[in-house]
Amino acid sequence: MAVCVSSTCDRDWNDQPALRKQIRPAMSATAVDLSDVSKRFDDVNAVDHVDLAIRDGEFFSLLGPSGCGKTTTLRMIAGLEFPTEGRISIFGDEMGLRPPNMRPVNTVFQSYALFPHMTVSDNVAFGLQMRRLDRREIRRRVGDALELVQLTGRERRRPNQLSGGQQQRVALARALVNEPKVLLLDEPLGALDLKLRQAMQLELKDLQTRVGITFVYVTHDQEEALTMSDRIGVMDAGRLLQVGVPEEIYERPTSPMVAEFIGDTNLLPATVKADGQIELVGGQIVGADITASPGAEIMVTLRPERLHIVDADGSFPDGHNAIDGTVARRVYLGNAVTYGILAGNVTLRVRVRNAPGQRQFDVGRRVQVHWAGDAAVLVERG
Amino acid sequence: MTRTLVPEDQPAPPEASQELERRAADARSRRGLWIASAPAAYLVLLFALPLLIVFVYSFATRGTTGQTILADWNITAYARLFNPLVREIVLRSVGYAAVTTVISLVVSYPFAYYIATRPARMRNVLLVLVMIPFWSNFLVRTYAWRVLLSSSGPVSQLTQLLGMGQTRLLFTTTAVVLGLVYGYMPFMILPLYAAIERIDLGLVEAARDLYASGARAFWRVTWPLSRPGVVAGSILVFIPSLGAYVTPEILGGSKTTMLGSYIVRQFLSARDWPFGSALSFVVTALMLIATLVYFRTGGRTL
Repeated sequence: MAVCVSSTCDRDWNDQPALRKQIRPAMSATAVDLSDVSKRFDDVNAVDHVDLAIRDGEFFSLLGPSGCGKTTTLRMIAGLEFPTEGRISIFGDEMGLRPPNMRPVNTVFQSYALFPHMTVSDNVAFGLQMRRLDRREIRRRVGDALELVQLTGRERRRPNQLSGGQQQRVALARALVNEPKVLLLDEPLGALDLKLRQAMQLELKDLQTRVGITFVYVTHDQEEALTMSDRIGVMDAGRLLQVGVPEEIYERPTSPMVAEFIGDTNLLPATVKADGQIELVGGQIVGADITASPGAEIMVTLRPERLHIVDADGSFPDGHNAIDGTVARRVYLGNAVTYGILAGNVTLRVRVRNAPGQRQFDVGRRVQVHWAGDAAVLVERG
Repeated sequence: MTRTLVPEDQPAPPEASQELERRAADARSRRGLWIASAPAAYLVLLFALPLLIVFVYSFATRGTTGQTILADWNITAYARLFNPLVREIVLRSVGYAAVTTVISLVVSYPFAYYIATRPARMRNVLLVLVMIPFWSNFLVRTYAWRVLLSSSGPVSQLTQLLGMGQTRLLFTTTAVVLGLVYGYMPFMILPLYAAIERIDLGLVEAARDLYASGARAFWRVTWPLSRPGVVAGSILVFIPSLGAYVTPEILGGSKTTMLGSYIVRQFLSARDWPFGSALSFVVTALMLIATLVYFRTGGRTL
């Protein structure tokens, strides 16, 4: 559980349902419900007691490093794997050992898995053919689906005659044409280059809003998850660590792992002193109002972009925390400069925007790093 | 959030790099030319030239005592290909080869599929097992079948034990086809394995995800994608079966004579070299055509 370090502690999302509603409209029905789901492969816990309710119509991302169990979770929803323990329901319908072809979901696979021996339109028509729909109906819906993903005119091409981005859109059309209740996407943008990926992120989000289908999106790319998702579930080592809206995940991580995985951060071990102050392991005292119990071993997470640098004798706003340090490293990134500031025995990463008039500092210079009280978030030591 | 259009397709690589790639490929193929000279010489000396000799002999005349006269060139030998006995033997050979091919395919497919879907290390072990029979002589193995199938052999003993009486398998069509299937099945398994192993199992999962039952996923995805292996394996079994000599000689009888034995008879006992040559040439030509068909139907990918 996160606790605030300063007086501007009133921005806890959990305590502000009104605020949450403003960000994302409330959605009641549960699309996918995972209840105490575990999956063991031999002696490895791929998925470890996951409880999760994905709401109808939301864009939900499962985010985590490779091997964290996110893909296995998705495959269990699709019916390509079965849980060792626990239950999975889709719109209240318990799936049990129901095979993938009997489930109201469709998947966009990581490598697209387009049928190489079929044309684009045969690929898209496949699911409808398997459900033995009327031939004319199939033709109409395939046409609509290809129009939706802007591939009209490529019907007779083979997948290997398409660019990566086009293949990706065929995979999307092939799944969406079936009008599934839930669309599962397994790192669908992973194989695309950065520019195309960023464009597709917005496209996908836009598409999801238009079709109104629940999307469950697996990715290891935190930026992707933040860009598109209504809510994000962060996984690590088979466990679901935290579920929340992007702002919540980024600004109020509840564990060092989440703080570190989502964006860049400074994680500093600290202890809560009897007088309520926080003592960093280096001995620096960080003044703060806190609610954590004295004596607790905690971690302080500080986002590099929330830290500021001033000269050793410079001034900073009242209420800010500050640490003295020396510029140890300076990396020019174009739109920003990152500094490594050696303060005692810790090095703080500070990100300074590269804007006109923005003061920059040379290596070796004595400086102060300061931050607003609400920039520091305390998390339990993992 | 502004909506960004998906960028247009990646531009094709510039002309210059295509030209460079083409030249590199040319250089590689020139290098390949002299490496290929040894196998080319081998093929010319030991295949093309003898075939040419056979072709020439097929137009020669058989002397009264069975000697071959390289004069009075004629096509009588080819005309005789249409007599009823030859037709019967050709039809029988094609029939045996076809049945052998179908049985091999049906038996090998699940086998190859099983091997192809094992973990890599297990796969290699199984492949070696498939090839183990090659370590012993084909003739010896065929004679072993003679023992197994004889009326006093283990198969017959088993049927007697079960009260079904003695079996007469040896010297029958069953024995010949069994021997052919046994002898040539590895040639079916290996290309099938190679084709199935290359299929992305994710495609089957995709088909299942798109409402296909296991059986429909197989017929719509796995089977068509394994077709190069099916074609290659079928050709590799059909051709040697069609020209089989040892198996029908040892396991068959007078009613199961196949082309191979018939051709040998023309050279050795009938001493009719022109006719034997004509038969050989036609069979070889047919096999060549079959192979070309195979290459045209996607076998190249093997």
